[in-house]
Amino acid sequence: MNGMNRKRVRGVSVHVILMLGVVISVFPFYWIVVMATNTSQDIYSYPPKLWFGDNLLTNIQHLFDRMDFFGALSNTMIVAVCTTVLVLFFDSLAAFAFAKYDFPGKKFFFGLLLSMYLLPTQLAIIPQYEIMVQLGWLGTLKALIVPAAANAFGIFWMRQYTTTSVPDELLDAARIEGAGFFRLYWHVVLPCVRPALAFLGIYTFIAAWNDYILPLVMLVNPDKLTLQVALAQLYAGHSTDYSMVMAGVLLSVIPLVLMFTFFARGFIADATKGALR
Amino acid sequence: MDLSRRRFLQAAVLTAAAAGATAACGGGSGSSGSKDSKDLALWYWSGGLSDKVVADAKTHFSDITLKTSVVGGDFKTKLLTGLRSAQAAPDITGIKGEDIASFLPNANRFIDLKTVGADKLVPDYLAWKLKQATTQDGKLIGFPIDIGPCATFYREDLFAQAGLPTDPAQVSAQLATWDDYFAAGVELHKAVPKTFLINNIGSVFGMIVGQGTRRFIDEDNKFIGDQDHIRTAWTTAVKPYTLGIDAKINDNTWNAAISGGTLGTEIGAAWHALDISNAAPGTKGKWRVASLPGGPSNLGGSFLAIPATSGNPDEAFKIISWILSPENQARGFTDAALFPTAPAAYKLPALTGGDAFFGGQKTIEIFGPAAEKIPSAYEAPADAAVSAPFYSELTSIEAKGKDPDEAWKDAVSQAKQIAERQGVK
Amino acid sequence: MSSTPVAGPAPTGPTSGPGSGPTGQPSPDRSRGPGRRAPRFRPVSAGTRPGPSRRVARHWPQYLAISPYYLIFSVFMLFPVLYTVFLAFQKWDGIGDMQFVGFQQFRFLWDDPIFWLSVRNTLVIWVLSTVPMLFMALVLAVLVNSTKRFTAFYRVALFIPSITSLVAIAIFFGAIFSNNFGLINAILKSLHVSAVPWMSNEWTIKLVIATLMTWQWTGYNAIIYLAGLQAIPSEVYEAARMDGAGPARIFFSITIPLLRPIILFTVVVSTVTGLQSFTEPQVLFGSEAATNPNSGGPGQAGLTTLLYFYHQAFDNNDFGYAAAIVWAFFLLILLIVLVNWRLVQRKERRP
Repeated sequence: MNGMNRKRVRGVSVHVILMLGVVISVFPFYWIVVMATNTSQDIYSYPPKLWFGDNLLTNIQHLFDRMDFFGALSNTMIVAVCTTVLVLFFDSLAAFAFAKYDFPGKKFFFGLLLSMYLLPTQLAIIPQYEIMVQLGWLGTLKALIVPAAANAFGIFWMRQYTTTSVPDELLDAARIEGAGFFRLYWHVVLPCVRPALAFLGIYTFIAAWNDYILPLVMLVNPDKLTLQVALAQLYAGHSTDYSMVMAGVLLSVIPLVLMFTFFARGFIADATKGALR
Repeated sequence: MDLSRRRFLQAAVLTAAAAGATAACGGGSGSSGSKDSKDLALWYWSGGLSDKVVADAKTHFSDITLKTSVVGGDFKTKLLTGLRSAQAAPDITGIKGEDIASFLPNANRFIDLKTVGADKLVPDYLAWKLKQATTQDGKLIGFPIDIGPCATFYREDLFAQAGLPTDPAQVSAQLATWDDYFAAGVELHKAVPKTFLINNIGSVFGMIVGQGTRRFIDEDNKFIGDQDHIRTAWTTAVKPYTLGIDAKINDNTWNAAISGGTLGTEIGAAWHALDISNAAPGTKGKWRVASLPGGPSNLGGSFLAIPATSGNPDEAFKIISWILSPENQARGFTDAALFPTAPAAYKLPALTGGDAFFGGQKTIEIFGPAAEKIPSAYEAPADAAVSAPFYSELTSIEAKGKDPDEAWKDAVSQAKQIAERQGVK
Repeated sequence: MSSTPVAGPAPTGPTSGPGSGPTGQPSPDRSRGPGRRAPRFRPVSAGTRPGPSRRVARHWPQYLAISPYYLIFSVFMLFPVLYTVFLAFQKWDGIGDMQFVGFQQFRFLWDDPIFWLSVRNTLVIWVLSTVPMLFMALVLAVLVNSTKRFTAFYRVALFIPSITSLVAIAIFFGAIFSNNFGLINAILKSLHVSAVPWMSNEWTIKLVIATLMTWQWTGYNAIIYLAGLQAIPSEVYEAARMDGAGPARIFFSITIPLLRPIILFTVVVSTVTGLQSFTEPQVLFGSEAATNPNSGGPGQAGLTTLLYFYHQAFDNNDFGYAAAIVWAFFLLILLIVLVNWRLVQRKERRP
């Protein structure tokens, strides 16, 4: 009886602590909504308003007056979608070659891939900027998409998955029917690695959506910004209209959080696998 | 969590199409050799031009499609990066007053405005302001939008509460020196404890430096930031901190401070009036303007320039000279608190009238005389970079209570190092 | 911390990963994939050995398949990284001509107190964030692992911060830690504690940035630890319990040692990302654009090294100096990662 009780108390306290963690994790989203639905004067006042107000539409109206929100949104979408599709294609193709073939120089190339892992992008950013100037890509979305179109992490991750999940028997069978490398890739490999692609896709999409330093440097044209850069600019300058900025924060965070909660379970499982490999 | 192959293929094709389209667009809009483009892009920053005048310019030049962009964030950085690429660069751009000097060494990146018609207009504009945008070999790279004659903005109601003078003429007379001004601040803070005199000590420092005729680097490209004129400005600027009348605002909360009555005064240029009225619409009628302690100073005051890659320099200058005509400058003053650079505008009713935000005060009575007596100082290209450590060290005093003398030493040694890096002797 | 929401796999090779490490902890995907044990597929008959050039030629599809990455990598990463080395020996304003100056930029760097201040700031922020972050993550992971209810919910809720945009979160933290208003000071006021000027004090600025990073990455690390915990076979625990070990003893002498490879991974990733903090101070203190852009706030307390690099490159257009800064900093990161690595590895050998 006593032991049962103690066990129960411990069980409850575990959930109490975990719920505290959850509350801290999600509280900012609640508070962003509170700030975005009240006026700036409400935000400045004491005691602060703790519940949603009815000023959201006005704030959004101010936001749209100050920035081309849908322009920035569509720029962000274009960058994220293009990057994701290119990464999925290039990475899975390269991964197939690495996973199932032996070719001269393979070890060297793969070693290069691994050693480049921790190289920070900032090390390359000044010359990258110069290259974009020379190519005439400065201020265009290409300057963001092309350098990100294939990456070491994706190849590495897809190679792992391809090695284990594409049966060699299947490849052999298709080869006997005369399929070459690219047909094997298209008809045998792609169907087998879909779950891994889905994870890599979401991962790439989120990274591209949230990227800040590269768009900050490359997108010099004020009417071609991504959401992150546009938001940061809205906030900069000492006359910040907080409720308007928070409306922008809210609108920029919503799509990603929705997408994430939709895919969450599989994504988290895959993300941790990536870490454990 | 599945991605079908057909979807994948569709997406890939779409991407390829999108990429192709972007490439086509990118190639198409590049400035070709001809200089008669009818699509012109104008960059400025929020409050840099009167939005009303800009809107009218679009209708006035009906054969030109004028695309305007209000650039947020750090304007100079954006412009510098934009200038590197013909596709990205605007056809007309604003340049902030504090940045103009740093663009002079790269004057070849801009059209010499004297070649597109500015030579005829030069006599109508303030000579000292034009000089700021003129290279040593006489090229004019910027046409002045406004100047920043400085003044003290103060809360009449709070001054009354503290028993201080409230009439602008009296305030100007009694707060004539920086010490008088700080003494008034102490009284104000005593009477209204939540109210401070100044925003931060960096603003005082900048103001006092602007009252002098020498800055951080002299005409012989020699560093003079360690000399007495800067040291005096520093010592004076630190006083309000020691007196406890410094609000120490160095973040984005100035907006809240100004509307919440944390700040009893603001020292700033004429254009600063717009910042105040935007941030604190609820304080309308409570503010007044008085002369700056210690004499006139200039802060900022911007220019319009035409990058060398501009699609149509002649038409671009026509637009500039229209936007900056005395009549439109007068409208800019009412709409965006841009103080005109064409003296002819000073006699127009827009300037001589009262301003409701300042309780109907005729602010020209303060700014007009200040504008006439602005000291002209040589500003070297590296001036902004070299002065940066002084401002940073002033915030160090505010943020960590650093000893002002130590902060001064550190500021000077850092400034010397930056000067060396920038090729200043 | 850059925008990467999810860190990649451990930087060890695929065959020397934690799964086959000395602890013998099974990798969760070991049993997956039907063809795992099958011999490797070789489309080229390995018996006949054609000349090297023909072997290369025969593999053109594979080279074609891997070429996009290496092409992009060479143009946009390898060449730029090397070019940055070259730039570090030049004086260049980005518009005019370059001028070779030898080691002068590095001499400047050595004598530049602001560079060292930025390094100090970066290290302090990193320690202030990483230590509590990894500790709390471990606690949360053990707690989630100890229960069977709501675990899916906990995972999602704890993971959400790591996918949220850093710009949005920086703005949010700027608002709630504001000096003149802001939730935190409002709470302090209601508790009759005097308001703290969070955004204008040397230490609280660092604390705010570190709190931001902790908020964003604790859940992510907890989920990773959780996966590691779940991979520990329950027999190990049962055996220990049979031997009479208490929960604390089990935690310290079984859980922690078995988790060591994963802890190493999280330490390395948090080090690399934590030392690269840039967006937080850039967004929080980008406001003084008029006099002093990107200087890292009051007292330059939020000036991280990457922000200083950005400032020199894109505000002062001193590209040579910026290149020297970023290279020196990269070597510093490398050094710290190696030290970390050695520390954790040595502990591993002791028992």
